[in-house]
Amino acid sequence: MPRRVGIALPDTAFERALVILSRYREASIAVVALVLAIYFQVGSNGAFLSSQELSVVLRDTGRFGLIAVAEVMLMITGEIDLSVGSTFSLAPYVMVLMSIGWGVPLALSAVAGILLGVLIGLVNGIITVRFRVPSLITTVGTFFLLQGVVVSIYNSQPIVAPVQEPFNEIFGENLYSPTDSLWSWHGLTAFTPFLWTLLVVLAMALVLNRTTFGLHTIATGSNIVGAREIGVRTDRIKVYNFMIAGAFAAAAGVINTTQFASADPLAGGPFLTLQAIAAAVIGGTSLLGGSGTAIGSLLGAFVVATLNNGLVMMGAQATVSDIYLGTAIVLAMILNVQVDRMRARRRV
Amino acid sequence: MSQKDIPVLKPDTPVILEMNRISKTFGAVTALVDVSIKLHQGEVLALVGDNGAGKSTLIKILSGFHHPDSGTIVYQGKEVHFRSPRDARAQGIETVYQDLALINDLSIYHNMFIGREYHKRVLGLKLLDNRKMRDLAQTYLNSLGIQIPSVNSTVDLLSGGQRQSVAVARSIYSSPTVLVLDEPLAALGVREGAHVLGLIQNLRRQRSVSIILIVHNYNQVFEVCDRINFLHSGEIALDASTSDTSEEQLIRIVKSGLGRQAIAAAAAEVEASTGSTSTNRL
Ligand SMILES: Nc1ncnc2c1ncn2[C@@H]1O[C@H](COP(=O)(O)OP(=O)(O)O)[C@@H](O)[C@H]1O
Ligand SMILES: [Mg+2]
Repeated sequence: MPRRVGIALPDTAFERALVILSRYREASIAVVALVLAIYFQVGSNGAFLSSQELSVVLRDTGRFGLIAVAEVMLMITGEIDLSVGSTFSLAPYVMVLMSIGWGVPLALSAVAGILLGVLIGLVNGIITVRFRVPSLITTVGTFFLLQGVVVSIYNSQPIVAPVQEPFNEIFGENLYSPTDSLWSWHGLTAFTPFLWTLLVVLAMALVLNRTTFGLHTIATGSNIVGAREIGVRTDRIKVYNFMIAGAFAAAAGVINTTQFASADPLAGGPFLTLQAIAAAVIGGTSLLGGSGTAIGSLLGAFVVATLNNGLVMMGAQATVSDIYLGTAIVLAMILNVQVDRMRARRRV
Repeated sequence: MSQKDIPVLKPDTPVILEMNRISKTFGAVTALVDVSIKLHQGEVLALVGDNGAGKSTLIKILSGFHHPDSGTIVYQGKEVHFRSPRDARAQGIETVYQDLALINDLSIYHNMFIGREYHKRVLGLKLLDNRKMRDLAQTYLNSLGIQIPSVNSTVDLLSGGQRQSVAVARSIYSSPTVLVLDEPLAALGVREGAHVLGLIQNLRRQRSVSIILIVHNYNQVFEVCDRINFLHSGEIALDASTSDTSEEQLIRIVKSGLGRQAIAAAAAEVEASTGSTSTNRL
């Protein structure tokens, strides 16, 4: 009978908990999300799960989640992108300017905005892999650069975005009013940003777990020298993931702009970057590289959005929610790193 | 392992691979100076030398991982320039690196097939055919007599010997033309080492793959190789055939300290006693 080599049984309660956590990473964060939702539902006397409030929370979830899933991919390769917050502002700003200034249809200028995001990712990626600048630094630089560009275009002024149906109602505009049925097109538009993100996250889960690109992404972060030796084009893999991050940040910005029919140069900013990274971390992805979960990023985004909105709804100051968020991030990171280190010692 | 059933290489066996006057420096460190090696069809060439002699650097140039500062590689009669290990693998040159190049976060079967994955079409999408890779990996490892718990487990679960076996299995799975093994016995116990040497001897018996075998201690390999090249301070100090040179003579050469002059003297002595030209100039 072949003995399973190298697997010791967990000894302490803490290790047992880690084993369960790592085996059911997504499930355990889903439990956290559920507990939070129930807590706020009870604490707000049933207001939290009203369609109005849920729409707000899920829209935020969609915004954070779309960027977070791209951060997860990058974090698996061992990199990070801090410039997403300014790409989020710049791409829709350019979209709206193109639309107003040159009369380009919104759908087309949205594509241009997303391509701009891809280009930003390409630049971030190339600087990181070619010049061996840590991405933590590269993207702080591009963050300030792009933020400076977007505020200087029009003196930090938000500009009113055109409304061109059906583009707007498909990509973020909220047509829902309390008199509408939730099961109508108008009801659906209350959640479109979330639904788009859900679709993208499911697609990325497939990419990560069932494609050569996903396999090589994991290999790049897990053992970059070994991956290179065996023929994985690690530089390319990293650059592609930076491009994905740029594209997703731009797309999230476009959806945000159609939601408010306004392009605000300060819509993203450093805070959005950090919220997306918080979502990735709370979702169970460590920065050590080699492992991470796409589904977790959406669940993490829900936790971040719930903490943001739920506490405010219960009458707390907006700033108080940061205390909880900060605590959650630190705890999640400690757990992620423990789980990863334990996985390195003994497989679960 | 008996030498008797190993077919002797004919003197006119064609050269499959030639590395000519390869030099490589890393910043201030000179790793290789004008190193030339020749590998014949079906031959097992042992590359021996002290730590830091440049053995790994030489074969990483062959595998496309490093690029030489100067020198050429002629493979199957044509000059080749490998831009990455991908190119070399695509042309039938497989390498088992000293660090094994295994990906700890991936399963054994994904490690076996990384870089040459099998795909299937699902709704027009090109997805990994995990079941196929799993089955092929399991069957292949079983056929080599490699004991592993399950191809589903990640490679960091494996013992040093098992890891080495998986890396070797990966490299011979695709029936390469040239196989390079960088210290494949380093992490192995006596029994496991014998198993890997047995695998190499089997390949040698068939004479269908040409092998470069890097070893720290040539004692282990006298039995399985046709020729030994000593690499010393970035240069080939000696090129000796095992059929013309006795093990004791080689031991004497190594014991001479691998200094340039000492080797030259020892080599001359070998040459004089065998009357052959199997040993090389400095
Ligand atoms: N990537 C590298 N960067 C700098 N120096 C290196 C690198 N790889 C090898 N070297 C140096 O080149 C020399 C030869 O190393 P190596 O080829 O690994 O020797 P061997 O495999 O024979 O022990 C050593 O001095 C080593 O320190
Ligand atoms: Mg070496």
